[in-house]
Amino acid sequence: MLRKTLFSITFAIGLASAVSVQADGIEIGAVFPLSGPNATYGDIFMSGAELAARHVNEDGVLTGDLNILYEDSQALPQQGVVAMNKLVNVEGVPYVLSAFTGVSKAISTLARRSQTVAVNGGGVGPDLAELGDYFWNVIPLANNEVGALARYAVEDLGHKRFTLVYVDDPLGESILNELEKTLPPLGAELVESHSIAASAQQFSGVAARVRSSNPDVVYVASYGSQQLQIVKQLRDNGVKARIASYSAFSVPELQAQAEAQGALFTTQSIDWDSEDPVTKRFVDDYRAEHNKNPTSYIANYYNAVRVFALLAQALEEQGKEITGANLLAQRKATDTFELVGGEVSFQENGTLLAPIQVLKVDGSGSGKVVSVKAAD
Amino acid sequence: MLFLQLLANGLQVGAIYALTAAGFSLIFGSTKIFHFAHGATFAIAAYLFHFALAGLGLHWTFAVAVAAFSAVLFGVLLDRLMYAPIQRHEGSFFTVFVASFGIGIVVQNLLGSVFGRGFMSVATPLSNSVEVMPGLYLSPLNGLAIVSAIVCFAALHFFLTRTFVGKGLRALSENPELVRMFGLSPRRLSTYAFALGSLLVVPGAIFTAAGTGINPAVGHHVMLISLAATIVGGIGSLRGAACAGLLIGVAENLALWKLGTQWSEAMTFAILFFFIIFKPSGFFGRATVS
Repeated sequence: MLRKTLFSITFAIGLASAVSVQADGIEIGAVFPLSGPNATYGDIFMSGAELAARHVNEDGVLTGDLNILYEDSQALPQQGVVAMNKLVNVEGVPYVLSAFTGVSKAISTLARRSQTVAVNGGGVGPDLAELGDYFWNVIPLANNEVGALARYAVEDLGHKRFTLVYVDDPLGESILNELEKTLPPLGAELVESHSIAASAQQFSGVAARVRSSNPDVVYVASYGSQQLQIVKQLRDNGVKARIASYSAFSVPELQAQAEAQGALFTTQSIDWDSEDPVTKRFVDDYRAEHNKNPTSYIANYYNAVRVFALLAQALEEQGKEITGANLLAQRKATDTFELVGGEVSFQENGTLLAPIQVLKVDGSGSGKVVSVKAAD
Repeated sequence: MLFLQLLANGLQVGAIYALTAAGFSLIFGSTKIFHFAHGATFAIAAYLFHFALAGLGLHWTFAVAVAAFSAVLFGVLLDRLMYAPIQRHEGSFFTVFVASFGIGIVVQNLLGSVFGRGFMSVATPLSNSVEVMPGLYLSPLNGLAIVSAIVCFAALHFFLTRTFVGKGLRALSENPELVRMFGLSPRRLSTYAFALGSLLVVPGAIFTAAGTGINPAVGHHVMLISLAATIVGGIGSLRGAACAGLLIGVAENLALWKLGTQWSEAMTFAILFFFIIFKPSGFFGRATVS
């Protein structure tokens, strides 16, 4: 009898404490590709977000433990909307991490309607800056990245002829628009552009077309497994022009790919050897855990979670509820944030402005910085 | 010269498509099972070839044997453990399709979990093109793919026309009841069809692993092409599926000569719609009356 009573009491206490932990926890959401051909990005984004949550909880920044609820978007807009619906309407989170241009655009309407802050750290389509007050970007967008790379390739390397191979989606279209806009004033030209389906895997014919246009630079605007296949098939099929791309090239698989060595790509400029305490702690802990340097994507999602923690901390100190509307108001009231990479501020449209670095794939895992350009 | 280059590329791609489509057509024609997991067989063969070669460090001949064995084993096991019970319980065509589709998804996710969800390729100098004449680049893989396809089709033709099992398979596609009357087991013949059909994807899987590279979703495209080629070639016609696979591969590439690159994949469907509208029986299919 006594044993039964003890078991019951223990069980009841355990249950009560579990409930109380759940009640005290502060939850935010994340709509990442966790399956499908772009799942490798989901793993990368998660590593940054989880490291930030760990630091926030270790420091006791908030009154409860910060938890991130992940939902799978498969990098597809329709799946992203389903995931966002669940996070907003079932879980009731005030803040959601987003990725990929198409997914981010798709969920932005729901974010605005439900007054939930959505923060992108992976998509770079320039129109992501125009998705309303509740959509923020902690990553410089393609207009900045394309402009920096074009200036480096034309002014520093003397290249004049560009060919673009781009995936037929909002990201690819935006990079096409940026190259068409950016190259002529620099005295260079976009000699050909080749649109490919997001599901395409066979590029020997595209390589033949690229080769026949005799470009100095082939700009690859794709992501995931496809961009690796494009690079391999371009090189296998005799394309010797310099390959260039945007921050999607910072994934480890591409950095290690033999055919990609020497390719140029851009990310926002972050000095991994900086002594500022936030950057140093992030880099040291990431290196200790993964035995390699972080990439800009990892820093972006670390920053996205850190921005939430800083805003939520300020709201808690003021005795305000942590809601999307209050987070937005608090962001507008905050001039600068101490993030990985240094002190930054948001533009009026909710997008961080940062200098852009041009890197060369050199097998080191994170690329070698060859130039730093101020953001346009 | 661009035309010649695209034609050469198209012949290589078409040879791979022809082999995979012939495998699907052989299974579908003989057993009437809509083997959607044919794409999964392709993915398994490609991944295990890569694993045996790069992961275990085996000689390429052993890696080919591992890929072939795994493809045949997967096909036979599916036939015995999944399709046979469904057919025993008189499951409908749709039931078989859904089960096969589900297996395709499971295999995709399993491959992703075991080998990683990113891109993989076999590092080989055979995929590097050399300029054989101004503007025309060919890789040893181009020639190997075409030669392999010719050898495989010659062997398949010999098997189907000269061996007892081969004749039985052809008879099975014509009239299963008659096969039974002659004392042959349609079930056993079905297993042979799956073994042979699965074996036919192996060269394509190996050349894809070495040429374009693979990811866990690689089977979807294979299945799409196989299905289109089976319809274009004429349902049940092995020769038709092979020719249609070759036609689709060449057309996909030659489309780039005058059209934008975005039309390349659309060519498959353009050819498919053309045949559905103007020649529903396909290249070599027989006209049917319902």
